[in-house]
Amino acid sequence: MNPFKLAWTYFRIGMMNELQYRVNFFIQLLQSAIALTTGLIGLSLVFGQVNNLAGWSRAELLAVMGVHLLMGGVIRSAIQPNMERLMDDVLNGTLDFALTKPADAQALVSIREFRFWQLTDVLVGLVVIGVAVAQLQVRMEVLQVLAFIAALIMGAIMLYCVWLMVTSIAFWVIRVNDIVNLFEGLYAAGRWPVGVYPDWLRTGLTFLVPVAFAVTVPAEAMTNRLTPETMLFAAGLTLMFVVLARGVWLIGLRSYSGASA
Amino acid sequence: MSSVITISQLSKHYQVPEREGGLKAAITSLFNRKYRTVKAVNSITFNIEPGEVVGFLGPNGAGKTTTLKMLSGLLHPTSGDVRVLGYEPFRRSYDYLRQITLVMGNRNQLTWDLPALDSFDLQRAVYGIPVDEFKRTRDEFIDLLELKDLVNKPVRNLSLGERMKMEIVAALLHKPKVLFLDEPTLGLDVTMQRRIRVFIAEYNRRNNATVLLTSHYMADVEALCKRVIVIHHGRILFDGDLSNLVNQFSAYKTLSVTLQNPDTELSQYGEVLSKDDGRVTLRVPKAQTSQVTAKLLSDLQVDDLTVEDAPVDDIIDQVFSQKEEA
Repeated sequence: MNPFKLAWTYFRIGMMNELQYRVNFFIQLLQSAIALTTGLIGLSLVFGQVNNLAGWSRAELLAVMGVHLLMGGVIRSAIQPNMERLMDDVLNGTLDFALTKPADAQALVSIREFRFWQLTDVLVGLVVIGVAVAQLQVRMEVLQVLAFIAALIMGAIMLYCVWLMVTSIAFWVIRVNDIVNLFEGLYAAGRWPVGVYPDWLRTGLTFLVPVAFAVTVPAEAMTNRLTPETMLFAAGLTLMFVVLARGVWLIGLRSYSGASA
Repeated sequence: MSSVITISQLSKHYQVPEREGGLKAAITSLFNRKYRTVKAVNSITFNIEPGEVVGFLGPNGAGKTTTLKMLSGLLHPTSGDVRVLGYEPFRRSYDYLRQITLVMGNRNQLTWDLPALDSFDLQRAVYGIPVDEFKRTRDEFIDLLELKDLVNKPVRNLSLGERMKMEIVAALLHKPKVLFLDEPTLGLDVTMQRRIRVFIAEYNRRNNATVLLTSHYMADVEALCKRVIVIHHGRILFDGDLSNLVNQFSAYKTLSVTLQNPDTELSQYGEVLSKDDGRVTLRVPKAQTSQVTAKLLSDLQVDDLTVEDAPVDDIIDQVFSQKEEA
């Protein structure tokens, strides 16, 4: 079974299903608007006091905010719902069903859910990024755009890997909802470039919860700050996270015996 | 023809942490944890031939589900051999998984918010079933279980019985050769149980599928299984024809007598189990059945008399209690 084709089937059916619930769309739109407004107020408060924040100008910070919104949308539409379902499955023993399917179990548990309306955040993020680019008054080269997209994809992969590892803890301790809340709190920290934080927090945001790579690095790609070294480092780290997450998943799976009947 | 399922000296032991009650013991166990080995399945051996429907019986915690999980590749055996269709299940090879299915009566795999039809489509994608074949199978099943009007409703709006029927359709769309059914009729009303039973029998007949079924409802077992395997404390107590189980373990028969004079005292003939509307039920040792029957007929004015085996439920109960004592 081709995992992409399978993912598409899940996506298609999930989307068809969610399109029936228009109210969700308006609620989501409202939420996105609130997130955008509070973000903008935060920015104007900061720039009422100073002219730049750790070397980032107002327009550049707007770009960071755009990426943060976009990535948040990706998390909430594609990553978080799947991981929540995985947690429930481990708790209820219904993971048995996924494990008796002729498909890679990790791939299967990662594509089953998709919250279509959460994509509003992605859209709003893209608009904010567009406005930021216009304000920056730089012309983005093709290479820069490609680097930006690559950085976004790698960032999303890293976030997925961390989330999968955290969720895999459920194999041992069953309930991990609190850890997920912690993760959300840390992701909120990505609203600002990681450079503004003290060293210890920056390290945590880089390696424990790779918000630095998910948000700051793509924003750097847009604002001409990205070095080839950072990009290479990001690629290496992504690979490491992928291997690590796979390992944790497989070990976790071995200690899963299913909730007894 | 070779067996579909071969199990030889199969065991599964769990290490479970053990501590005494109380806070002190709880704290001690954080640092110095004692483990106890639970032999959930303890060296069991049996074969199942193609097309057989076998009832797998035992009280809660006997090791039924553990065995089913080892057979479906969810658990790695501690020792012993297990092969299904020539595969070792715990390797979870896709070729193997494509030929089996697992139905658990107490758990759902259908997506709650989606119409069952969409969940069926997902099954098609996961198993890579060709579209034509998929549609044919799906419609056949929907027909057999009379689900036509329900497949477009979100699963959460279905009754328990309707949902279970959908679950079974979803689990069989890929036409598995081996079915592991763990309490497929759990909690359903009698009519619904019968429906599902008939469907499983029909599937078995049409596809020559092999079925291993656990159920607490003896009616399921009596209707579907010629052969039963009884497991208790992880060991096999009985493996053979259901009728043999009855003969071997049933020490009593039940006589129901209707007399012309309903007030006659019958306790001298056997243990009186019940008495209503002039109909008396007696429990009589199996060896004395014909003697007692003859005596009843000659001594009294009998309107009606039937002789029955004890209900299988009671027999199973006896099997467990006898072995406990032994």
